[in-house]
Amino acid sequence: MKKKSLSDQIFVICNTIFMVAFVVITLYPVLNTLAISFNDGIDTVRGGIHLIPRKFTLQNYYTVLHKQNMVTGAYITVLRTVIGTLLALVTNALLAFIVSRKRFLFKSQLSLFWVITMYVNGGLIPVFLLYKNLHLTGTFWVYVVPGAVSAFNMLVLRTYMVGLPDSLEESAQLDGAGYMTIFVKIISPLCKPVYATVALFVAVGQWNSWFDAMLYNRMSDKYTTLQYELMKLLSSVMQQSGSADSMRNSGNSITPASIRAAATIATMLPIVCLYPFLQRYFVTGLTIGGVKE
Amino acid sequence: MSRGKKKAKQEITWKEIKRQKVLLIWSAFFVIYGFIFYYLPLGGWIMAFQNYKPKDGMLHSKWIGLDKFKFLFSDASFIRVIRNTLAMGTINLVTSFVMAIVFAILLNEVKNVVGKKMVQTISYLPHFLSWIIVTGILHDALSSTGIVNEVLQKLGIVSSQINFFAHESYFWPIVAFSNLWKETGWNAIIYLAAITAIDPSLYEAASIDGAARWAKIRYITLPGIKPTIMILLLMNVGNVLNAGFEVQYILGNGLVQKVSQTIDIYVLNWGISQNDYSLGTAAGIFKSAVSIFLILLANRMAKRSGEESLF
Amino acid sequence: MKCKKLTALLLTAAMTASVLAGCGGDSAGGAVTSNTDGGSNEGAASGEDGNKDIIDFTMFIAMPGPEINDGNEIQEIIAQKTGVRVKETWLTGQTAAEAVGTIIAGGEYPDFIDGGDGQMALYDAGALVAWDDYLEKHPQLKEMYSDEEWDRFRQEDGKIYWANIFQNTYGESKATTHNDEAFWIQARVLAWDNYPEIKTLDQYFDLLERYAAANPTMEDGSEVIPYTILCEDWRYFCIENAGQFLAGYPNDGSVIVNTETMKIEDYNTSETTHRYFQKLNQEYQKGIVDHEFATQTYDEYIAKLSTGRVLGMCDQWWDFYGTVNDVFKQQGLDLEGCNYVPLGLTIDEGMENMWHTYGDTQNLANGVAVTTSCKDVDAAFQFLEDCLDQEIHDLRFWGVKDVDYQVDEDGLYYRTEEQRMQWANKEYQASHRCVYSYMPQYRGTSRDGKNAMNPEEQTSEFFSSLAQPLVDCFNAYGVTTYVEMIGSVDKETGPWFPMYSFSSNMTTETPGGVAWTKMGEVKHEWLPKVVMSDSFDSTWSDYMTAYEGCAPEDFLAEMQTELDRRASLAQ
Repeated sequence: MKKKSLSDQIFVICNTIFMVAFVVITLYPVLNTLAISFNDGIDTVRGGIHLIPRKFTLQNYYTVLHKQNMVTGAYITVLRTVIGTLLALVTNALLAFIVSRKRFLFKSQLSLFWVITMYVNGGLIPVFLLYKNLHLTGTFWVYVVPGAVSAFNMLVLRTYMVGLPDSLEESAQLDGAGYMTIFVKIISPLCKPVYATVALFVAVGQWNSWFDAMLYNRMSDKYTTLQYELMKLLSSVMQQSGSADSMRNSGNSITPASIRAAATIATMLPIVCLYPFLQRYFVTGLTIGGVKE
Repeated sequence: MSRGKKKAKQEITWKEIKRQKVLLIWSAFFVIYGFIFYYLPLGGWIMAFQNYKPKDGMLHSKWIGLDKFKFLFSDASFIRVIRNTLAMGTINLVTSFVMAIVFAILLNEVKNVVGKKMVQTISYLPHFLSWIIVTGILHDALSSTGIVNEVLQKLGIVSSQINFFAHESYFWPIVAFSNLWKETGWNAIIYLAAITAIDPSLYEAASIDGAARWAKIRYITLPGIKPTIMILLLMNVGNVLNAGFEVQYILGNGLVQKVSQTIDIYVLNWGISQNDYSLGTAAGIFKSAVSIFLILLANRMAKRSGEESLF
Repeated sequence: MKCKKLTALLLTAAMTASVLAGCGGDSAGGAVTSNTDGGSNEGAASGEDGNKDIIDFTMFIAMPGPEINDGNEIQEIIAQKTGVRVKETWLTGQTAAEAVGTIIAGGEYPDFIDGGDGQMALYDAGALVAWDDYLEKHPQLKEMYSDEEWDRFRQEDGKIYWANIFQNTYGESKATTHNDEAFWIQARVLAWDNYPEIKTLDQYFDLLERYAAANPTMEDGSEVIPYTILCEDWRYFCIENAGQFLAGYPNDGSVIVNTETMKIEDYNTSETTHRYFQKLNQEYQKGIVDHEFATQTYDEYIAKLSTGRVLGMCDQWWDFYGTVNDVFKQQGLDLEGCNYVPLGLTIDEGMENMWHTYGDTQNLANGVAVTTSCKDVDAAFQFLEDCLDQEIHDLRFWGVKDVDYQVDEDGLYYRTEEQRMQWANKEYQASHRCVYSYMPQYRGTSRDGKNAMNPEEQTSEFFSSLAQPLVDCFNAYGVTTYVEMIGSVDKETGPWFPMYSFSSNMTTETPGGVAWTKMGEVKHEWLPKVVMSDSFDSTWSDYMTAYEGCAPEDFLAEMQTELDRRASLAQ
């Protein structure tokens, strides 16, 4: 016993050191970004900002938050994150449920059909034409419908579902339950940790995406997103510090680096707060109890 | 919970079809959806065999057969960027895999609940930083007056400053490191979810048997998350050609361009900046073909050894 | 229970969804946003009187740029006066070609467009309206260019589809800054040596060496960096093309045009360029050239310049001055003479330099165009003309009188310090300023004969922003502006100038285009190596071998053909 606890202690110490080192190395760029976001833009250019702002200002955040259409952008972004995540969760889970049924006739073919989609891509213009012909461009739906099913998420869900005991399904079927009942009542409640994972993946993707807003809703502000507005802000700040032809203005203490930092922090916060909320699903392990094989 | 049972080839009978009616109807829906959104745009691949001009569209552009592919494969620098892409893709794949799994397992061993939660929340913060910020910080740290050189000099490991970005041999490790830095915590999320699926009673039983920590990790945790590991490994094998663009583009410079350029950068230099959609499409087809080949190969190997497979 | 919750959530989602669908449907058309009373616009095309229906146009500009707010004050004033309001959308996160490619694929265009690098594709797609008929109807618009200049805009079908709006001088030129490339040096270095005549590369580096030896550190103890070179990505022109200038030629960019023989010459292999790199190599060995130059990013370069430690470099003014000058001002470094002044260096003494070109450089590759989707083509051209109206032009560039600028008793415009600060403020720009920066505009002298079209060129505005050491420096050399400082010879550039407008549009479809891209790759790799080499001669010959391997003769031949074409067109 003694020997074991010694090695145990060493392990705990090493592990703690590892975790502390990991946290320090990981946290630095985040804190650095935070410091830059609160520092005067022109002053930042001189370099040497580490963890503490040298010339404190709220100007960067003011610029970011006062951009026109920020409210519309935030509204659409929240909406697409909520609807997109729910939709993706339901569709991916259903698809994963189907292909994880042992008796399903085409499970291998259907899986292959989806796996291939991860590695092929028709390119920007054909996709654009497709969405246009489906009348998705210029609507909100272009944000949530095309990406609703993704092979990656489906496979993550499937792996988890395959790991659940077959006897669950069998005993339910003996009770006369149909597939949909099994999916909703038996499998889904057990999949909370993996649902939480996939929800996080999809939500973060939805929250951060801007390219679709730019491509499909370029000329209208109605369906602009938070990140697209930030990208526009960023590229306009960038432009003013380096082009021969467009107008110039000086005396301004806003630089691309400081705006980028403020935008990063401002959009990071809400989505980071999502995690601890989802985390509780990870903490409780599975208790499959009586139905073990 | 033994997996990899013999798969009895199922017969398609009317009775079975009837029984699975719900599943089949939904599958049909998913097939139609997938066909429309993923397979239909592949019609765009014909651009690779054309001299695509936006004005003519895909229907009227001039056909040039395999010219674009010939151009790619007769160019020595394309062969070089394939090598770079494969090398960096493989290094990234291996290191990020190992790190994410190790991190997830070690984190799971942390018994202090508050500490555990905190570490995990912090660990995935860098995922939200853009590459420009991460590479900027890395560039700073590795510059001749940066923290790394300072530490190395103080410890007496090197006598004069190293210009890390001027040497070809440092480039791939730097890229791998920046990937690890940004994504380890995020990648570990899936494994942490998988670990929670492991039946806690297995650990209890092992404890009663007097199993040491290592033994538990080795015989319970690792096998428990093996299916997840296998699936992700298989998926990512197909992604080695997507070794990235931004990191290499931002961290690279003229001196190391022989090892830093990836296929995506090549396409940018030769295709996009010169309005050559066809070349970009040709390179995309090449990447898809290699990916699918790798995936089929890996899947077959996995199946043969009775492991989890993709399809 | 759980199940019910989920159902409820989904139901809510579905309901929100159906609401969205309701408002999503009607705008499915996409690109063109017409205003609510768009139907009653007909007939309200021209005229100057206010209070009429305002037409809302859209414009896409394939360049990144600043958005202005809806209800922007000057935009509204201009709308009242011209009857037109233009909503600008800028390039974000894509290349111009990609953006234009998707717009063409979609087949719906904004009313105005400047396609940048994708302009030709728009013409090819038949998306643009020919100007010819409208130019006759709009004399002020036609006045922008001479007939000869307009002819250069003609496409293959003989018609004009766009006009580039930059670098177009009205009346006398008022240029004060040298916007282009030069060897720059801090004013304090010149002051330290009592403002010597620096004419050659050797004299330049000699001065840098002597100054650095006498003043090795800044006041705060950090070491000075006598000379640095930016060679990141496309900005490697800072190391690459000095050879053409040092030989006394103007910025044709990719080649030298020998005006005597009318032949294209390659400056990459010229003796001057060889000597230039040899010099850089020697200075690198001496520690004068920054040892980290080859790996620095643009951000790091700017940060380095901003500390005031860098004594000199070769760069284009617009590439560095904005941020760097702001930091200098903020840190008080401008008063210590850290600001850069341009030197018109040549390789040998007694040569004329052409770093600065005085005439307008007419960029034919892109410009503002009206598309076939335009709601009201007549009104669109009327607006293009109105943009050049002096009143509107002043509103765009100077702002509102007594709010953004004052007029003194001589009728000269000036800004108070407060107005200057306000004009530069981002919030104010979005809510008040409306430059329509890609609509027709002038530089040079206003129609009143006194003021500058653009405040940047107003002499009083220029001097008020000049730090004392710069004034001293200019005085010492007996000059008043950056342009005079560089002292380029005022020689007309040929009608072919600049040749880079051809090479930058080359594609891999031609052997010359392939060679051009390969040459770029080789130079990116070898130029830093040549400078850093321990044995210059052998590295240079390795570089030359690699360079010849790209078949530069294919590129030069195509440039020659284009030169001949442009020259014959002018006759």
